[in-house]
Amino acid sequence: MEVTYKINRKDPENGGESGYATYQVDLPEDATVLDGLQKIRDEQDDSLAFRASCCQGTCGECAVRINYKAQFTCTTRIGDVTKKAPEVQLDPVRNISVIKDLVFDMDAFTWDKMAAVKPWMEPDEEFAPTENIVSEKDMADVRKTMSCYQCGLCDEGCAVLPVNFDFLGPGAMVKSYRFVMDPRESGAQMDARMKVVEQPQGLWDCVHCYEADGKCPRGLTPSTKIMEIRDVSFKEGIKNEKVGRHHASFINSVKQTGWLDERKLVMETEGLTNVAGLMKLLPTAVRAMRRGKMPGRHEKRPGADQIKRIIEKAEESK
Amino acid sequence: MPQFDVLVIGGGASGLRAAIAAKRAGASVAVLSKVHPLRTNSALSPGGLNAPLGSDDSAEKFAQDIRSAGDGLCDTEAVNILAADAAREVIWLERVGVPFNRDAEGRIDRRALGSSSVQRAAYADDRTGHMVLHVLHEQFQREDIPCFSEWFVTSLIQDGGACTGAVALGHRSGQLETFAAGAVVLATGGATQLYRPCTSAVGTTGDGLMLAYDLGVGLVDLEMVQFHPTVYSTDRTALVSEAALSEGAQLVNEAGDAVVDAAGLSRAELAAAVHKAGHNGGGPVSLDLRPVADLASRFPGALEVVKSMAGIDASQNPVPVQPVAHRPMGGIETNAAGETSVSGLYAVGECAHNGLNGAGRLPGNTLTEAVVFGKRVGEAAASHARSAGAKEAAGSAARDNERLAEITSGGSSGDTLGTIHRELGELMSANLGVTRTDAGLAEAQDKIRALQQRHAALRVNNKSRIYNYALAGHIELGNLLKLAEATALAARGRAESRGAHLRSDHPEKDDSNWKAHTVVRSQDGSPKLDTRPVSA
Repeated sequence: MEVTYKINRKDPENGGESGYATYQVDLPEDATVLDGLQKIRDEQDDSLAFRASCCQGTCGECAVRINYKAQFTCTTRIGDVTKKAPEVQLDPVRNISVIKDLVFDMDAFTWDKMAAVKPWMEPDEEFAPTENIVSEKDMADVRKTMSCYQCGLCDEGCAVLPVNFDFLGPGAMVKSYRFVMDPRESGAQMDARMKVVEQPQGLWDCVHCYEADGKCPRGLTPSTKIMEIRDVSFKEGIKNEKVGRHHASFINSVKQTGWLDERKLVMETEGLTNVAGLMKLLPTAVRAMRRGKMPGRHEKRPGADQIKRIIEKAEESK
Repeated sequence: MPQFDVLVIGGGASGLRAAIAAKRAGASVAVLSKVHPLRTNSALSPGGLNAPLGSDDSAEKFAQDIRSAGDGLCDTEAVNILAADAAREVIWLERVGVPFNRDAEGRIDRRALGSSSVQRAAYADDRTGHMVLHVLHEQFQREDIPCFSEWFVTSLIQDGGACTGAVALGHRSGQLETFAAGAVVLATGGATQLYRPCTSAVGTTGDGLMLAYDLGVGLVDLEMVQFHPTVYSTDRTALVSEAALSEGAQLVNEAGDAVVDAAGLSRAELAAAVHKAGHNGGGPVSLDLRPVADLASRFPGALEVVKSMAGIDASQNPVPVQPVAHRPMGGIETNAAGETSVSGLYAVGECAHNGLNGAGRLPGNTLTEAVVFGKRVGEAAASHARSAGAKEAAGSAARDNERLAEITSGGSSGDTLGTIHRELGELMSANLGVTRTDAGLAEAQDKIRALQQRHAALRVNNKSRIYNYALAGHIELGNLLKLAEATALAARGRAESRGAHLRSDHPEKDDSNWKAHTVVRSQDGSPKLDTRPVSA
């Protein structure tokens, strides 16, 4: 079958110029999108850059957007994406800078974020004579999570990354979840990881849009996993000091007065002994005051005692 | 110039294990890999990894099974090391995070795999390679080892007879860089891309073998190429672990009748039996996975890959299979410590021949070999680098620069890399496949030489060096063609049938003449065949 490949290309050596180029390719009915790309590079334009490795849906290297949907070129049949018209459009995945053609900055996109969560175990008895004794059920759950390709498709779907690229992203959270739910992991390394995961641009910045869940080629539901890590975080106690102070201040305020004392929240989050941090808040405070946005006296609101009881009840059931 | 005690080339399981071990031995280490470590071919090893963990097992039994599969060509020292160290390494992998399947007591479960006499393969579903690779990469990150990912090595540097570094092209920067090192470890994987079809990733192009060969190092037992018996293959491949055969799956004909009994067969024998059954007029052979209990939880990877590559729901229908080129047994000549004949140059894993696998690898040994010998070779390289002392690499990138410029000097010859590669792969499958003949091998030698000439005349038009995959592909194809020539020479020389090497014109095993390794070395630019005895 004759297929038109419309490929979003970028030349890093020509002022970063980008634009679509089209190629006519004759492919067998059961060809994959990758087959066509290889044929174009081989027969028509050897400057075309795209990644591929295993060519059998095992490694996760060849993710691009095919007709606006991010997927692997090696497992996508050309016949399935040319049903409406004999044309397929290929773009690099979203949310990340492109280096050349369909090759994007995977370091910044996924690898660096994954590495940030300290994704390794440091067991006390690393060279023990026997293995850990754990249940098959626990290991089956870990294996399911570890089947993650680290392909970045969840990050590609993320609604937060386009507005804040410093967000850890669902991929790194799934990697964290693999340890959080592993009964063999505990101790200092777990705490060090949770401090990173719980950072202000981490666990709490997910907006539950569930886009990542629809993107994961192995159905790993990153959004649900982020929620589960939050549960663990609350249960075990928040390890990130700043975020921990924020939560404590929030709860205390609502518990004591029935509503949120924003002035106190900001200062207690920063740390009351953290003079440098508090000084940084000054300009914001001054601006807020000038515009009449500084909250006034904070008094206990009616019904505050009932709110306190609700919170205490919730804390008991934790 | 970046300088390290130990430079590991290749980011798969062997390379990562070597790097971790070298770092822990006190060396400064870096890994150069042409793809990101998690995209390497190690992920494509689904079934499991052998270790004598059971009360019904022992290092001696394990060694015996390795020797049986190796069909007379195993070197004793490597076999004994693997058998002795496997359990410790697998337990280490478990301790640092591999989520192995468990038995009822919560211990590492073991499955039957291939011709092993007991259930010996620790496994993580049928994604063992993926899980092991990911955990090794975790530990690699723990060691904070620099990783030059997407760097393509163009040559090794030799100074006073010793290997002192490497020159590599950074895909992202487009720059050639010289890396100085006290020791260099080649962990570049195999060369299964010699064949079409094949089960392996596009990067298995024998780069490391040719880097060593160009320094005069011998390549041993190249004719021994393992064919995997249960692979769906058209233009695409989908490998199903042969562990399925031990768990109820059957090899059947179109009528659904069992045509091959896999029990007790080595992988070579099984591949030959499937090949024969498929060529005896009975129609194509299929793997029927339906009898496997708990198929979805035992073989989720197989179901997924067969669905995506073959479009077949293997829980409902048999999957057509054939033997497909899988992994080489041969490789760079090393001793059990991974040392080559060049001081400071080491090799490990699928690119290396240390005497472990003989004429046939025991299924489940690929990953075990990677971690057991990865560790040992990493430590040996660190020790060598300490005694050799750090020095500036004498070489420069000038020669490599000229070579790259020559390749990208443009001009169409009317040929393409893809065409030559396809013709090579089909030739290898036909003439150096499951069965071989002298006439077929002689024909292959002629045709390979013709392909080499076409390759030499071929130029890449794209002069840029940033992510110039055609440029890297040109070098890779050149490596494959040189290796094909050496492989055909070795296969033609071995006038007997043994292990994975079946000569229909010499169907018997000939211990009096051929209980020996073939060794191919480059002499005056041509491959020369030699032999050396198997070490007891």
